[in-house]
Amino acid sequence: MTDDVDIIPQLKKIAIFSGLSDDVLVTIAQRATKRKLAPGDVLMKKGDPGDSLFLIHEGWVKITTVDSKGEELILNKWGAGAAIGEMSLLDGGMRSASAVALEDTEVLELSREAFEEIVKSPVVSLAIIKDSTRRLRFATTYIERAIDLAQKIAAGDYSFLEQSQALINDNDDSKAAQMLSAFFTMVRKVKEREDGLKQQLEKLTFEIDQTRRKKEFEEITGTEFYANLKEQAKALREKRAQE
Amino acid sequence: MNKGKIVSIHSFRGGTGKSNTTANLAAQVALAGKRVGVVDTDIQSPGIHVLFGLDERKMGKTMNDFLHDKATIREIGLPIHENVGGAVGLSKLKDTHIWLFPSSISGRDISQILKEGVDFNKLNVGLQTTISEFDLDYLFIDTHPGLNEETLLSIATSDVLIIILRPDNQDLQGTSVTVDIARSLDVPNLFLMINKALPKYDPVQLKKEIELQFNAPVAGVLPLSFDMADNASSDLFSLRYPDHEWSKGLRGVAEAILALDNK
Repeated sequence: MTDDVDIIPQLKKIAIFSGLSDDVLVTIAQRATKRKLAPGDVLMKKGDPGDSLFLIHEGWVKITTVDSKGEELILNKWGAGAAIGEMSLLDGGMRSASAVALEDTEVLELSREAFEEIVKSPVVSLAIIKDSTRRLRFATTYIERAIDLAQKIAAGDYSFLEQSQALINDNDDSKAAQMLSAFFTMVRKVKEREDGLKQQLEKLTFEIDQTRRKKEFEEITGTEFYANLKEQAKALREKRAQE
Repeated sequence: MNKGKIVSIHSFRGGTGKSNTTANLAAQVALAGKRVGVVDTDIQSPGIHVLFGLDERKMGKTMNDFLHDKATIREIGLPIHENVGGAVGLSKLKDTHIWLFPSSISGRDISQILKEGVDFNKLNVGLQTTISEFDLDYLFIDTHPGLNEETLLSIATSDVLIIILRPDNQDLQGTSVTVDIARSLDVPNLFLMINKALPKYDPVQLKKEIELQFNAPVAGVLPLSFDMADNASSDLFSLRYPDHEWSKGLRGVAEAILALDNK
């Protein structure tokens, strides 16, 4: 439980809360509990049921998963003001990654029970639905952009890569921007491989076997027929030149 | 002395689009106001006569009959401009002067060539007669793929040889031998034409590198075209679709042939 007034602007930054009034946010803040973490403390584990949201008040946490060899892979680092697991409050999905404190950290935890209590108010529910819809629409425009670019790639047109930076807006929703950024990285790699292959093909084109060339030439020109033909052709050319 | 030039179109392997290119080149040169003849010696189907909309049942006598003194050249030449039919491309040839001289159609004719043979002087006199009788500016010969004796005769008598190749190793290998033969037979004008170039190749670079490889001019780099495959052999593509990239490339080759007159 907390009564800090400076929590309110931080709560407003959380996407699903951004449409809520200060009054509601104060209620949320009151229902939230404070947790203190020492460096190395695990805030949440990948695969656990996602039944709460964390707001980092102070300190830093790392978001991690394990790679195919079982080693830790750091996906991201978050500091004060960042919210972790906000989607889990709505869909109850499992944690897609783990979160571990990097230093002395203080987080605010809002449980699903507390959250469900708050959304009993139709005004709050409506605000959350509106915001979710806005974000869905936003994600859709990103998908449309990706479809448009995918069609260009299919046609062999990579010219958009030169302006890829302009297509990613830093203020955009981070996941969508990350997706598009990863998409551009992928396309660059595909193009590199294609260019490499092209060079290889062009090089292959120019491998004339000179020994075979000479042998085939000699097979054709070594006959009596050819010797006669060459002589007659020579005479013809000379005659044509004189006329 | 005949002013008419003999232009042989050759490719080392089949499938390069040789007959199609010959028919379209001849048509473009005819459209430029020249009197043109086309000798079809590549009897593989679909024959060049199909591209010109001619029914092979109408072809009684062939060049072989003429070369063996069994017919006059006047009996052989089929005026394409008088039989253009309704096809969009072909009908543009209505006001030109272009004749087709069919070669062997049946197996009997082919075996006759093998048995009796055609010697160089006989072929040469026959072609010169064709040129003078029809007052031709250009006589195009659609040769057999490969380098058999009949093809060697055509190359030996040619003023211009156009070798068509696809940008792949096998075509390049075969073309290298044909280029050497053309030089050995003192063909005065040799052009290469690259056909069916994949879009991934830069045409300018392709032209440069092939010219370097053979020390011979590349008169055109024509793209692989599925539009053309769709057109099949029912009409002359470059007349029907003049704005297509393939047609533009082909006109470039026709211009290279026409430019020889100003040399």
